[in-house]
Amino acid sequence: MDRALNKLILPLQQGPDLSLGQFLKTVEECCPQTAYAVKLKLHEMANGELKDMEYFFYDLPNPYIAFDSEAYKTSVVGLFMRHMFLAYDKLSFSQVYKLYKSLQQYYHSHYAKPSDGQVGLPALVADDSDMDLTNPEDAVGDRIDKEELDTPLHESELRNDNAPSRGPLSQKQAEYFLARQAYLLKNDENKALKPAALQEELNNMLKFNPDFAEAHYLNYLNSMRVQDIFLSAHSLLHYFDRLILSGNEGKSNGDEGYGRSLRYAALNLASLHCRFGHYQQADLALQEAIRIAQESNDHVCLQHCLSWLYTLEQTRGSDSTVLTEDSVKMAAHFCLPYLASLGIQSLVQQGATQGKTAHKLMDALKDTDILHWKHSLSELIEISLAQTTSIWRMYGKSTMALQQAQLLLNMSSLEPVNFGVQQNNTEAFAVALCHLAELHAEQGLYGAVSEILQHLKEQFPPHSQHAKLWMLCDLKIQFERHMNEGKYHLAEPLVTAISALNKTEGLYRKAQVLKALNRSTEAYSILQRLQVHCEKTKCTEVVIRVMLSTAELHWESSGFSTALPLLLQALALARQHHLQSLASETILHLAFTQLMLGVPEQALCVLHEACIEPVLAHGAVMDKGRALLLTARCQMAVAGFRPNGQGQADLRLAVLAVDTLKEAAAYFFRLNCKERLRDVHYLQAQLHRSLGQTSQCNKSAMLFRLLDQELQSPAPPVSMRL
Amino acid sequence: IKPETEVMSLPVGGTTFEFGDLVQIKKQLISVISLCKERGLLHTLTLEDAQDLDALTLAKSYFDLKEYDRAAYFLKGCCSQKAYFLYMYSRYLSGEKKKDDETVDSLGPLEKGQVRNEALRELRVELSKKHIAGELDGFTLYLYGVVLRKLDLLKEAVEVFVEAIHALPLHWGAWLELSNLVTNIEMLKSLSLPDCWIKDFFMAHMYTELQMIKEALQKYQSLIEAGFSKSTYIISQIAVAYHNIRDIDQALALFNQLREQDPYRIDNMDTFSNLLYVKGMKPNLSYLAHNLVEIDKYRVETCCVIGNYYSLRSQHEKAALYFQRALKLNPRCLGAWTLMGHEYMEMKNTSAAIQAYRHAIEVNKRDYRAWYGLGQTYEILKMPFYCLYYYRKAHQLRPNDSRMLVALGESYEKLSQQVEAKKCYWRAYSVGDVEKMALLKLAKLHEQLNESDDAAQCYMLYIQDIFSCGEQLEHAEVSTALRYLGQYYFKNKLYDEASLCAQRCCDYNDAREEGKALLRQISQVRDQIETPSADLFAPLSNNTPVRRVSPLNLISFTP
Repeated sequence: MDRALNKLILPLQQGPDLSLGQFLKTVEECCPQTAYAVKLKLHEMANGELKDMEYFFYDLPNPYIAFDSEAYKTSVVGLFMRHMFLAYDKLSFSQVYKLYKSLQQYYHSHYAKPSDGQVGLPALVADDSDMDLTNPEDAVGDRIDKEELDTPLHESELRNDNAPSRGPLSQKQAEYFLARQAYLLKNDENKALKPAALQEELNNMLKFNPDFAEAHYLNYLNSMRVQDIFLSAHSLLHYFDRLILSGNEGKSNGDEGYGRSLRYAALNLASLHCRFGHYQQADLALQEAIRIAQESNDHVCLQHCLSWLYTLEQTRGSDSTVLTEDSVKMAAHFCLPYLASLGIQSLVQQGATQGKTAHKLMDALKDTDILHWKHSLSELIEISLAQTTSIWRMYGKSTMALQQAQLLLNMSSLEPVNFGVQQNNTEAFAVALCHLAELHAEQGLYGAVSEILQHLKEQFPPHSQHAKLWMLCDLKIQFERHMNEGKYHLAEPLVTAISALNKTEGLYRKAQVLKALNRSTEAYSILQRLQVHCEKTKCTEVVIRVMLSTAELHWESSGFSTALPLLLQALALARQHHLQSLASETILHLAFTQLMLGVPEQALCVLHEACIEPVLAHGAVMDKGRALLLTARCQMAVAGFRPNGQGQADLRLAVLAVDTLKEAAAYFFRLNCKERLRDVHYLQAQLHRSLGQTSQCNKSAMLFRLLDQELQSPAPPVSMRL
Repeated sequence: IKPETEVMSLPVGGTTFEFGDLVQIKKQLISVISLCKERGLLHTLTLEDAQDLDALTLAKSYFDLKEYDRAAYFLKGCCSQKAYFLYMYSRYLSGEKKKDDETVDSLGPLEKGQVRNEALRELRVELSKKHIAGELDGFTLYLYGVVLRKLDLLKEAVEVFVEAIHALPLHWGAWLELSNLVTNIEMLKSLSLPDCWIKDFFMAHMYTELQMIKEALQKYQSLIEAGFSKSTYIISQIAVAYHNIRDIDQALALFNQLREQDPYRIDNMDTFSNLLYVKGMKPNLSYLAHNLVEIDKYRVETCCVIGNYYSLRSQHEKAALYFQRALKLNPRCLGAWTLMGHEYMEMKNTSAAIQAYRHAIEVNKRDYRAWYGLGQTYEILKMPFYCLYYYRKAHQLRPNDSRMLVALGESYEKLSQQVEAKKCYWRAYSVGDVEKMALLKLAKLHEQLNESDDAAQCYMLYIQDIFSCGEQLEHAEVSTALRYLGQYYFKNKLYDEASLCAQRCCDYNDAREEGKALLRQISQVRDQIETPSADLFAPLSNNTPVRRVSPLNLISFTP
């Protein structure tokens, strides 16, 4: 016996049952001689009589009495053989006969089929090495029957007989099937069976073995996939009803048997309701779980409850920092690293929205990361990376965000890779990919964006749990794109879709569209409402953006001085929360206001001091273009240009402005933002004329004319916007 | 199952029928019974078919001796319809018998539930060929239907059964099989059934199954009027129907009548014992149990009766043992699973109870008692939210049963969901509260929430309810209600009413002191305002305070 064969034995013993074809193939791969011997023996037994099998058992003990044999009593093979003999000896005559029949069927079903090594779930596996002896005597290749089935029958009847996966599975096959499907559901849903097919398989399995509790749980998971509240609740409760039974029998494996599963039953029910958005129900179930856990002093369960409690509080929008902190402390005390770091991550998230300093947050994340690597909590590592990505993006550091997202996507998971599938459908991946898409969209790389979104669509199909993330992301990108290109009529229908996914975001976008369509009054009332709402829920980012939009509305009515306090307030908020991109945006607005109020020197100064640098480094292409356009306008104003071309201009500054405008034009061109491009060309023509460069002036003028004709809408007299 | 033998036990002999068509019915019955007999459904054989006569006689004898394979072997070449049916039927029964034997010595625990009748598929293939060729008669069609049902091809089975019924309307076995496959009233209405007198029996049976008791009773009543008044079958069915709507006295009377007419009857006696159990009639139950044991102690019904008997005597272990025995005799016996669950509940063995109830639900998803039992189990485990789901299920199945509603209300109350609780209690009262508890609970809930008008109104309705039903209930809390009402009237300065209530309070031990105290308070107040009432100590004819009070707004707490 060589090494390869020894290695083969363990998987054969512990793995799922194989069909004869698969079995022979694996044996043949490592030792053709043994395979031949096995084949011969099986042939002899299957084509002979009952006595041949009896002889096999009678003959077998000899090698294992010999001391130096590989099959000695205490070896792996020896132990297995002893088990087998014991089981065989216990059989009554009719059972022995049945075993023999199953063996024959097993053998013949292989040879009855032309192709061996068939994939899929073989309906019958009964081997003489089958330990738990759960040989279903049903045969798939019941040959007599097959021939008779030629007669035309109803379609449904035919289906019932010919489907290969029909018929009962053996215990091991069923377990393997469940484990595999559950694993796939967790890690890569697309590779699992389709919901309907899986449901059918499970029903079939439960029909033959109603006591198989795990099948109910898988059923629950499967119904969650299709958002079926009734079936999932039903399956979950059924699973726990079953579990309570098994837990009671084996009291050895846990403290006080089934009380434990009761607590977790209630907890799971809470999570179910939470998933479906029934927060009140979830709360009630959670209270129940907490009460039972308290009564039985189960701190571990209590911890789980606590982390659900703060999650629930968070989803309801109330402040749960204190709860979370408590949870982290207790979890650390009871040595539950998973819950502890989950709590910390939740705290970080809350801290980020509440304006905690960046280094504190990053420190906390770094500390937990050390913990994660120590305990190999790969899921949390992923979350942590995704969170870092989000935080960097919130702060407006797109390069860092990009880097973190790439890090997550390129990291190979610590989880063992089973069934050839790596875990890549967690929320963390979805978040990172969405950020990636938005970052690319900001740079105007729409080809890459559509590729990323395509991948997201495949990885997280629309019915799955995290699909809303990419849906919102997709809509936002489309919206921005249409707004930049000035196609407001295309942006408008998107607002409804966005509102369905996120109400606040939807309202904000609506205000933007209304503003662009010059329906200022409506836009203003929406913005006011939104501001009140967001101040209550502490969505600082939205508050600042709302303030900026309100300021823009003030500009339209030439209320530049009224816009100023608003903008300063926004700036203070942005700085306080370290939201760099929003801060730069605010400064941009401020500078524009100053320009309009007639202090271009001040505006230029502000721009150079605090805005241009971060925008060019981290900002979106649109922001870059706008910043440069504004700079050029300030430069022109400082140089002393008047719209009607009067007065003497400072030529040195004018040359600078020409360069700036050229750069801005490049950015706008990339985004296909024609309105702003038109402005740029207009200004360019003016500059060139005053510099006496007639040909360039004419070229710019022509470009302006072309765009103006294409756009059809009349340009505002002096560009009144950023 | 052997529904084939359940040819309806109608009064065949000794009854004079009044109508012409009844004579017809009788003739038909006699002929169909002989047909059934020939096919092994009863144990005689008339010699008609000369062709296959020898083989048929031989095979029939083997068949009677339960040697099915042997019977099938000798019938193989025969071509008459009768022989063919017997041939197929023996093969079917042989398969069933083998299946039962297999279950006993299976190779492993997980094989349970995987044992199948191997003959079914072959039978189906052969029968379907003949079916397409149109060569099947009523009996073979019936057999084909049974085979299809066993293979879980329910849709096809329904079609074939309907066909079988059309071919041979008087074969009650086919009707019964069909009734097992009909799940709702829409489906029942969509079936095209032959217009035969037996259809009325079927419809009545279906109505009972689908919990449409009123319609069922009507049907049975009209059947009785048509001349089937002495049929024990109808009497037992009516009794079961009354049992289902919890009209216990009616049902008991009918069962007693049934036992007089048919003293050795075992069918339906488990239902009878349930009734006796509910009424707590120990001697009657004991007598019934003894009687049944003498007739046949290895019947499911007998075991259930004995189980009930032990349960009533609070010997729950023994009761559970007998229910287990009943289940061994017939694992698909729904009632026994549920009753066993109840016993385990009594023994505080919640996990075993859950198991039993789950089994019951597996057998029949529409068993409201099992759902209710599961709810109760979780309630005992102090999981009020968890048990809501089960109570809701039970309520769905019996929307007009107050017990589920009260249970739901209690759970909601425990979860401090007072609004829902109030709705449940009020609804429970509206559908006719059996235990008379809903109003009291509702009143207490209002009391807790300081809604004194509503509380008083509920207490009043409660008192009315208790007095109108006549009999004394053990848990009645009339005194509580009176006490509250007294205080309520006193606060609202309705002294006449208050004093009436206080006086009534004095009739009850636990409220006597308070009643007297209230009376003293009232007389003090009255002395102060110096308007002594003459009729203060007037004799109390009935619960007058209820009529005098200003009508309170009932609508406010209707859901």
